[in-house]
Amino acid sequence: MSDSAAAPTSTGIDHKKLIMWLFLASDCMFFGTLISTHLLYRKLYPTGFTDAEGHVRFVQNLFDIELTSFSTFILLMSSFLMALAVSAMHKGQIASFRRNVLGVILFGLIFLGCQVYEFTHFYHKGLTIQNSVFGSTFYVLTGTHGTHVAIGVLWLILLYFYSFTGKLRGHIGALDVEIAGLYWHFVDIVWIIIFTVVYLVEYLGPNGIWGSAVATITP
Amino acid sequence: MATAAHHAPVTDKTELPVERSDIGLVRPDRTTGLLDWLTTVDHKKIGILYGAFAMFFFLLGGVEALAIRTQLAKPNNDFISAPMYNQMFTMHGTTMIFLGVMPLSAAFFNFLVPLQIGARDVAFPRLNAFSLWTFVFGAFALNVSWVFEFGHLQGWFNNYEWYSKLVYKDFAPANGWFSYAPLSGTFGQADAALHAQRFTGVGTDFWIIGIQILGVASLAASFNFIVTIFNMRAPGMTMMRLPVFTWMTLVTAFLIILAFPAITVALIELMFDRQFGANFFNPTNGGQPILWQHLFWIFGHPEVYILVLPAMGIVSEILPTFSRKALFGYPIIVFSGAVIGFLGFAVWSHHMFTTGLGPVPTAAFSLLTMAIAVPTGVKIFNWVGTIWGGQVRFTPPMVLSLGFIWMFMCGGFSGIMHSSAPADSQQQDTYFVVAHFHYVLLGGVLLGLMAGLYFWFPKIFGRMPNAPIAYIASAMVIFGFNLAFGPMHYLGLTGMPRRTHTYQTGFGWEQWNFVATIGAYILGLGVFLAFANLVWTAWRGKRAETDPWDGRTLEWSLPSPVPAYNFAQTPVVTTRDAWFEHKHGGARIGALADGGPEGVHMPSQSWMPLLAAVGFLMVGLGIPMMSMGIPHLGWLVIAGLGVLILGIWLWAIEGPGGYHLKTPSAKTVTPTPTASAHA
Repeated sequence: MSDSAAAPTSTGIDHKKLIMWLFLASDCMFFGTLISTHLLYRKLYPTGFTDAEGHVRFVQNLFDIELTSFSTFILLMSSFLMALAVSAMHKGQIASFRRNVLGVILFGLIFLGCQVYEFTHFYHKGLTIQNSVFGSTFYVLTGTHGTHVAIGVLWLILLYFYSFTGKLRGHIGALDVEIAGLYWHFVDIVWIIIFTVVYLVEYLGPNGIWGSAVATITP
Repeated sequence: MATAAHHAPVTDKTELPVERSDIGLVRPDRTTGLLDWLTTVDHKKIGILYGAFAMFFFLLGGVEALAIRTQLAKPNNDFISAPMYNQMFTMHGTTMIFLGVMPLSAAFFNFLVPLQIGARDVAFPRLNAFSLWTFVFGAFALNVSWVFEFGHLQGWFNNYEWYSKLVYKDFAPANGWFSYAPLSGTFGQADAALHAQRFTGVGTDFWIIGIQILGVASLAASFNFIVTIFNMRAPGMTMMRLPVFTWMTLVTAFLIILAFPAITVALIELMFDRQFGANFFNPTNGGQPILWQHLFWIFGHPEVYILVLPAMGIVSEILPTFSRKALFGYPIIVFSGAVIGFLGFAVWSHHMFTTGLGPVPTAAFSLLTMAIAVPTGVKIFNWVGTIWGGQVRFTPPMVLSLGFIWMFMCGGFSGIMHSSAPADSQQQDTYFVVAHFHYVLLGGVLLGLMAGLYFWFPKIFGRMPNAPIAYIASAMVIFGFNLAFGPMHYLGLTGMPRRTHTYQTGFGWEQWNFVATIGAYILGLGVFLAFANLVWTAWRGKRAETDPWDGRTLEWSLPSPVPAYNFAQTPVVTTRDAWFEHKHGGARIGALADGGPEGVHMPSQSWMPLLAAVGFLMVGLGIPMMSMGIPHLGWLVIAGLGVLILGIWLWAIEGPGGYHLKTPSAKTVTPTPTASAHA
């Protein structure tokens, strides 16, 4: 974007890297607001949602924690591969970079596939964006995160193909990959937080962290 | 990335063979005419465009204000209908804040920050162009709602099926500038037809998407300016040698990047409620409208400081110049600006004292609101300390700056009254509040920005604004403003509510409302005169000297108008107010050995920022029209997203490009004789 490599900067940090950190700071506030919305409503309405037949459904019965744990693990591992890709780029090992970034893309797609499956599955269990506050906050929060992952996958695919033009090289090439890596790691960290406060806390205690005052969960 | 071919420096890029991007697209290279203005990446031209659009929208918002005041001139008036009145005050507030003050501040950021820090451009020139065009198209999308409203009043849509299905036919936004839920949101069960579930018409959808797009523009610009200020300072320009205006730009940009995400999320949630039947703010299904208020004001209160800090920065440049003294207590001014930035995030609930927060939060927010008056007061005292004992020269910018201090202080005093929760519960939603924030935003921000326009105008266009007309306009603005908003304190304390279409006789409000309307017209004429003076003298004014005011900071060391490359050689500074010291026997400004025979490297122009912004325009028009129920408009939204992605992709692969521009033969900056000009 800029002639960042051409001139030394006052802080010694490259323009592109600094702007990415600033974007991530802003994105922290963005996800902070979304996650707060979800948690506020969970505290207010501990019971989950009412499905199409008028049955009260509990979130613990809805979630498929094994599947989500699997997709979380996949996303974590994609961050590992991303770190390898960045390291390879810094060493100028373009073939290794391509292998690793292809792995990141694949793992990102698996994560997105799991999310698509999860959304369809929950929809068939009766959770829609329209029938409850939980549905609205859950789909919008995790969907926004999914959009971030999808943008990251698109970005990495473009970088992957760009590497074949021979122009992704040297300091600037390594920097471009590193910045994509910063974004990818950030999106991963946000997922760790979402996985904890949206999914895992529902399993604290017999009725989840929000549901201790309401009726016991029945299958 | 495309790399600049090594070539001899040129005086104009058109002397070179056309530059092609990697996929063979020709890059624009005109430096004059329409093609130049559409594709420019020069921060100075982008600044001028920001200023021109902002002044246009200021006048538009002013016309809306005068419609409101005309309606309120006498009791039981029917100059405009009640629905039209709602749309007028909503669009007046939205226009003034997002399309008037913020872009005019952005005009100063763009024009001044690189010059003040000794840089040749911003860190990301094309991103800067993207911010500009995204702002322009967001503003355009928002105001297209007026076209639909006009068509509705003219009966253009009577034969269309979608029109007959609309329950509410207010096409311009009509919820107030904060669009409180549930009025802006939905009610009832989601299985009903979506249109039947809304409290308001599609004006709200125009507002949602318009503000969202304007937010993108502000965020992109802020990222750019933070990087520019951190990374592109000339050698020796340490943080504590930065001109105060640049400091306030930095604080403002941080406020924007940290506060705007809250409104972004709130707007997404509200959009999902309205378009897809979600329940974020739908009271029927358990949504909590109060959440909107919190999210809005978590953004909205920092927004107040986003509006005022640039004006404070401008005044902090003008007062020392015309007092011929260094700014009194520079570190304290900078520090208090930063403290205002921090505390600005901790006072949002003082907008919500009457919502029943409970005693502890109310007391806490009350206390913090009183606390934020301290750094503001510190600044006022420092400005007074700057004038004290100085050799004061009266010029239009100085007069407006002094007006700023007075009027902003009046607004600050009534603000402290609001910080007391019991008093505030009496003043909530009355004209007292209207008086308060107009004293802050008009008496403060507008006077500050006008002072800035008159101060830097000679540098921007190389011509002097007409001083007598400037004085007349300043007097009309300050007098008309006090006549319009002073009486509103009284009207508010006697109970006149905000946002009401009209009022009955017998409350004792007739006289002061009439006075306020006269004041508003004087104010409107004054602002128009002040702007017309600028536009006229931009073409016909007397040629200005390089440094007509005996300025203090680096921008005054440059010729007027400033050449495309700004500094023929990068300056090296060793002190605050480097240019003033340089001229008057203090530390000299040095120069790096760049910009020699190889010329100055310039970024190439580009169509891509404009193309990406066109994508936002399509989304901005598509969503509200889809919301009206016009068939097939969803495709416009999808196409808009496609254009956006295409624009960003082409932007990425074309690379920054660049060429080398010839500079005058290498010479260090020389002081201009100034003593005689101002004796």
